[in-house]
Amino acid sequence: MTYLLSGIFLGWSLGANNGANLFGSAVTSKMLKFQTAAILASIFVLIGAIWQGQPGIETIKGLTQLNLKLATISSIAAAITVTVMTFCRLPISTSQAVVGALVGVGLIKGQLNLDGIGKVVTCWFGTPIGGLLVSITVYKVFGALYNRFGLNLFQGDIFLRLALIMSGCYCAYALGANNVANVTAVFVGAGLLSILAASIIGGLSIGLGIITYSKGVMETVGSQLVKLDAFSALVVVLSEAITVHFYTIVGVPVSASQAVIGAVLGVGIVKSISTIRRQTLGAIAIGWFMTPVVAAFFSLILFLIFRP
Amino acid sequence: MAIFSFLFRKQKMVEDLIYTYLDNIGLAEANFLKAFDIYFDKGRRSRKFDLLTAETHKAESRSDDIRVEIETLMYAKVLIPESREDILELLEAIDMIPNCCQRILYVIQTQNLVVPPFLYPDIKELIKISLESCHLVRQEVDALFREPELLQKLSIAIDINESACDQLERRLITQLFNSELDTYQKILIKELILEMGDITDRTNRISRRINIMSIKRRV
Repeated sequence: MTYLLSGIFLGWSLGANNGANLFGSAVTSKMLKFQTAAILASIFVLIGAIWQGQPGIETIKGLTQLNLKLATISSIAAAITVTVMTFCRLPISTSQAVVGALVGVGLIKGQLNLDGIGKVVTCWFGTPIGGLLVSITVYKVFGALYNRFGLNLFQGDIFLRLALIMSGCYCAYALGANNVANVTAVFVGAGLLSILAASIIGGLSIGLGIITYSKGVMETVGSQLVKLDAFSALVVVLSEAITVHFYTIVGVPVSASQAVIGAVLGVGIVKSISTIRRQTLGAIAIGWFMTPVVAAFFSLILFLIFRP
Repeated sequence: MAIFSFLFRKQKMVEDLIYTYLDNIGLAEANFLKAFDIYFDKGRRSRKFDLLTAETHKAESRSDDIRVEIETLMYAKVLIPESREDILELLEAIDMIPNCCQRILYVIQTQNLVVPPFLYPDIKELIKISLESCHLVRQEVDALFREPELLQKLSIAIDINESACDQLERRLITQLFNSELDTYQKILIKELILEMGDITDRTNRISRRINIMSIKRRV
């Protein structure tokens, strides 16, 4: 079980960082108490992980052949990467950290599934673009429907609040289904866990991160999303959920944060406003390129230190 | 959405309080009108005028209390932030109407202002149209909460009333300054007329604000 701790830590930090993408706007605008949001998110993350986590786990475990020590090394390398990048205030993708670490280990052993890695990297490009395209579509379609219903102020308010909560739950489901692979897939590959056990442990550790440590991030990221109007915030969360869920079906773990960024940009395009500063975009680009490289580097270092 | 109503209990409380608030504003306006009827009938010295002025103040004061209650509820996390902000600003703007009514009555009461009878017909008309606009504003708020499609019609009516009141205001001031009254008396009555004319200006501004609130809610 000690081997699993690195994965549990990774899941915990994933939950702590990504909780904001699920209910940030609802919590910051006081539509929902943090405790309620955290519990809802954790429940749906767990359901998603158990219900649809398998394809992602299959993809990640197929990237390279691992024994238990290598799985632990890659998991620790990914966890260190997430911590270091977060410390450097760069936007982090746990999926990229995990894959980067696996590539590092795979390079040393000369065992890399290039087809699988190609598929994953293609999806990394596709995540923000997907978020952008989905948000443009969702904004236009939902906007037309919303206007057609002609809701009064209170009805509109109730609709937006309910929709934000439901979208948050859907997003938590998609996050659990998609990202559980980042947390425990390597241990499935090493033969330590069954897929079901990996899904449950992964889902629980992400949920634990959301409940115990996501409040601060939720308030920071949420306040940025709240600068958008309530409808746009709803579109962002829903587009993030659809995008992440799409890649869950494809079987590739992606970054929910990158889907959010794409969705926010999409809303900006529809509304002809600037939603993200250039400086932030620069940091995102740096994080995007650096995360897998740094993770691969850390896994190489750890491999050399422990030489399994 | 009825099945989720338990989730929106506080929102329903806000809605109910806003309607109670509007009823109180209506009461202040009704007392204001009665006070003027007495004034035209029996003059400033009537005890009933003082009584109705006090009643207008009471209704205005009660409206303030309800507004504070609504604000407190709003800060207790009811509604989405945009709606909270819009409603608080709207109530603040509406609150100016009973304040205005109260101020007019106080001007007459404290300064013992005597309006010359030749101005009565136009002043009565000015008050009638102003209060009609106030009533339309309350209907507009109701439409915002229940039937947004009525807003445009109400908004046009309020705008027409405002123009009519502007004309009346100008006519009253012209009549006043063409009269043989003392200059100081002319100035005091002019201030009173301007204060009365201010009611429809305010209703028009509130109406525009309501329209913006409605437009903002379209995606």
